[in-house]
Parts: sequence; C-alpha cells; structure tokens
Amino acid sequence: MTNVPTLLRRELNAYFASILGYVVLMFFLVVMGVTFGVVVRYLNSGPTQFTAMKILFKMFWVPSLFVAPAITMRLLAEEKRAGTLEMLMTAPVTDFEVVFAKYLGAVVLYTMMWALTGFYVLILRHFSGGATALDLGPIFSGYLGVVVIGQFFIAIGVLASSTTKNQIAAFLMSFAIAFLLLIVVNWLTFLFPSGPLGEVFHAVSAFDHMEDLQRGIVDVRPLVLYVSGTALALFITTRVVESRKWR
Amino acid sequence: MIKVENLTKRYAGVTALNGVSFEVQRGEIVGFLGPNGAGKSTAMRILTGFIPASSGRVEVAGLDVFENSLEVRERVGYMPENNPLYTDMRVSEYLKFRAKLKGLPRPERTERIPEAMELCGIKDVSHRIIGHLSKGYRQRVGLADALLAEPDLLILDEPTIGLDPVQIRQVRQLIKDLGKRHTILLSTHILPEVEMTCDRVIIIHHGRILASDTPENLMRTLNAGGLIQVEVRGPGSEVQAKLRAVEGVESITAKVLEDGYVRVMLTPKSGTDPREEVYQTVAGNGWTLRELTRARTTLEDIFVQITREEDEAEEERRDQRRSVLR
Repeated sequence: MTNVPTLLRRELNAYFASILGYVVLMFFLVVMGVTFGVVVRYLNSGPTQFTAMKILFKMFWVPSLFVAPAITMRLLAEEKRAGTLEMLMTAPVTDFEVVFAKYLGAVVLYTMMWALTGFYVLILRHFSGGATALDLGPIFSGYLGVVVIGQFFIAIGVLASSTTKNQIAAFLMSFAIAFLLLIVVNWLTFLFPSGPLGEVFHAVSAFDHMEDLQRGIVDVRPLVLYVSGTALALFITTRVVESRKWR
Repeated sequence: MIKVENLTKRYAGVTALNGVSFEVQRGEIVGFLGPNGAGKSTAMRILTGFIPASSGRVEVAGLDVFENSLEVRERVGYMPENNPLYTDMRVSEYLKFRAKLKGLPRPERTERIPEAMELCGIKDVSHRIIGHLSKGYRQRVGLADALLAEPDLLILDEPTIGLDPVQIRQVRQLIKDLGKRHTILLSTHILPEVEMTCDRVIIIHHGRILASDTPENLMRTLNAGGLIQVEVRGPGSEVQAKLRAVEGVESITAKVLEDGYVRVMLTPKSGTDPREEVYQTVAGNGWTLRELTRARTTLEDIFVQITREEDEAEEERRDQRRSVLR
C-alpha cells in the first residue's frame, strides 16, 4: 500500500484539473444551498418539529444518487479508453493499490463537499444563540451517516467504471444500482411496512438508516453493512481490473 | 536479459503468439519487426507483466515475469503503443508522479527527473500541460518516463510511430545513445528503423518468429533478388554467352539497347559475388563497361520474401489439410 498516497494525490489533482470536479461541486452546493435557504425560511415561519440539519441530512440521497456516479464514472473507464491503464499497471504497483486509491480519492472529494456544509452549522449556531440551542451530537452522527452511505455508493461507482471504457455507461450503471438500492428499496419499505420481507427492506434501506443517524442513534449494524458492501465492491473491482490477465 | 521460451498467447479464438522463443543479451538493441497484428505488442505486454502468457516461460533479468511481476516491473522501462500519458498533467508533474510510483526516493528523484528531461530534450516544455504538446514532444515525455528509474531493460513499442521525419531521426538517435547504457527491445514495422538502430532483428509474423539475426547477416544469407546489372558495348550474343559462363552466375537476361550497349541482368548463385569476374571478362574482351552495379537487398526485400514464403507455406498446409479431408 506504499503507493496509495502517490496515486491518491494524482487522483485528487485530476478532479480539479478537469472541469468535472468544479461542475459536480457546484451542483452539490447549489442543491444544498437552496435546500438550506428554504429550510431556514420554513423554520422562521414558526415552531416546527424539525431542525434545519435534520432536513438537510434528509437530502443525503441526492449526492449518493448523482454525485457518487458522477465523480467515479471517469476513474477506470477513462484509463482503459486512453490506454493509460497499461502504463499504470506496468509500473511497480498492484492492481488493488490503484483501485483503492481511486476509491479513496472520490471519498475524499465527496467528504470535502459535505464538509463545506459545515458552514451551515456555523451559521445556525451563530443565529440560534450559541451551543446550547444546537445539539451537536445528532449533527455528528448525521455527518457520519452521509459519509458512510456515500462511500458505499462511490465503491459501487468505481466498480461500474471498471467494467467499461465508456464513462456515460459507467455513470448510468452506477446510477441504476444506486437508484435500486436507495429509491426502490425505500418504496418497498412503504409497500411492505411489516412482515419478514418488510423487515429485510427496512434493514437495508438507507433512508431508515439515515433517519436513525440524524437523530443521533448510531446503530453499528448498518455501518457494518455499508463497510462490508464497500469491501465487496472494491474486491470485485480489483478482480475486474485483473480480468485482463485471464480473458 | 530476456529469456523467452515457447511463449504462447491465445485470446478468445485468436492465437496472438505461437510458441515463440528468443533471448536478448545485456546491452543489445533488438528490434521486433513485423506487420501490424503480428504479435509484437502482445509479446511486449507479456514481458512487462501487463498480461500473462497462456503458456511458456518468460524471464527478465533472471526473474520470472509472472511470479516476480513487481520486481520485474521495477527493472523495466516500458513505453506502450501509442504512448498513453495523463494529458491533464504538466510534464514535470507527470514525471514526478511516475518517479514516485517507480519507488525512487526523493534525492534520486530530484536528480533523475532533470537528467531524463535533459536527455530527451523536454526541459523547455517541463511546465507545459502534456495534452497541449505536439506528438513528438509527447513521445519524448514517454521516453523520459521509461528512462526515469534507470531500468536495466527498455521496452519501446513503436517509439517513432506518428512522428514527422525530423522527429523520427531525433528519436532514433536518442535510442541509439540509450543503447550504450541500456538493453533495448523495440518494435516497429518500419524497416529502415531496425536497419539503423538495432544490433539484431527478430522478424515476427502471425505470432511466430521467422528469423532472428543481425541486419547484415539477414541480408547476406537471404540475398535472393540481389541482381547485378551490367551495361557493356559489345556484340550482343557474344556478351551474353561469355557472361553466362562466368563462375558464380546462376542465370542471365540480356537486352540490346538502342545506343549499342547491351544491358545484362545477372542473378548470382546465393552467397557469391561475381562482380570481379564479370569485370575481368568484360575487360579481357576489350568491351567498354559503363555500369556494373549490385541492386542492394534491403531488409524490406527480406521481410517481404520471408513473410511471403511463410504465407505460401501456410497456404500449402491448408491445402493439404483440405485434400486430406476430401
């Protein structure tokens, strides 16, 4: 894993060497900024049962569904298309190092985006009259949630990117998977509110997980689910990259 | 430096390499020569550990390329076909990235990067973005990258493809200079290139090695087509008869030209050079000689000849198989 820092640095630079990093960042900040503005307006209208950050964390599916595929589609697909994978893989680095560095680069970018919403916390804190009025615990667990869920969809995106030379195809693939795992599963929890099937859907529904986390309830089970999902996705990705060797 | 034994590579339905064996000694510049699709790039990809072989043994610097893939990669500088680079990086930035990947520690890095840039003549573009460079410069960036870690072995896949004549000459000269310090295996389908740069040529066609020798030896052993042209003023039939009798002449055709000269084309027996005897015969008869030249066999002729022979042999085998089936 000695080459990961070098590879990671190159990945992060690549995001900001192309327009893609800025476009995605802008998309994210516009969505989050508008949401935050609307929320603050709504909260000003009178007493509610929500807090501003809770509503903001409810938007977690937007970055998972759009941003994760967008920042991962390029990663391996472009290397394959341009042939730079050959150059990379004939350097003394392992396939897993390359895959992991690419995943990590996307996770860092994604986390940086969410970190920018930390300003909202500062703003709320300033206007809500200090630390006492703003419960920081659920905010931390909420951030933990968006990062853990997001990094899983990034791993899915890296996997999708490894299977094709076409960035658009990679985007659509990871978008479709994210759509199934996020949105469709969420619908299914409404279709099957209880029963054995319902239990399964509730157990894997990211909306349910986020609901808990933004309240400050940190259940380890969903976290383990996402981390093992990531491990599996990265494992398969490494195999796909290696598949040039046995095809 | 390189030892390849019975290397075979099959893709789905296609045999790219078929039982290839060869060796490259330390310090040699060896050229892989073959038409497009002959299996040159496949062989190089296997040597650099990018893809494994279907069967056979490949050693680089005494290490098996499958079992000791990382160690082999540390010892090899590779420039893949079409020289893929990260076009969004600056030249110096890219070389720094590559040097780090190749495990050069910082002091060595700060020394080797300017050295490689100097050697390849890219110092003046070190701050430019690779995507904005001309093809010639990019090619040299690829070369500089291959050189960075001072590898024992340089593997260059079509290093001069797509360059203009001036750039081609520069890159060839660079390769020649590099050959003094490194072992080089390069591939090309341009014949003058191997003739000019390589100590040894390996001709590869349809995944098989057809010949492996120095360019000079190849030309000597296969100098069929090395006709000798003679133009003599003298009586046509007598000239023809006397020259046919010269030792070392296989066959002869003659034509009387309008200005009274006779143009004779001699085919020498293989391995002989009867030019001296031809001159003596002509002078001894008191004829005037105005031309005595030997059409130089080029590698091009050899290449065409060898690959054609191979294709014909292939055709014959196929015919035989067909007749057996019938």
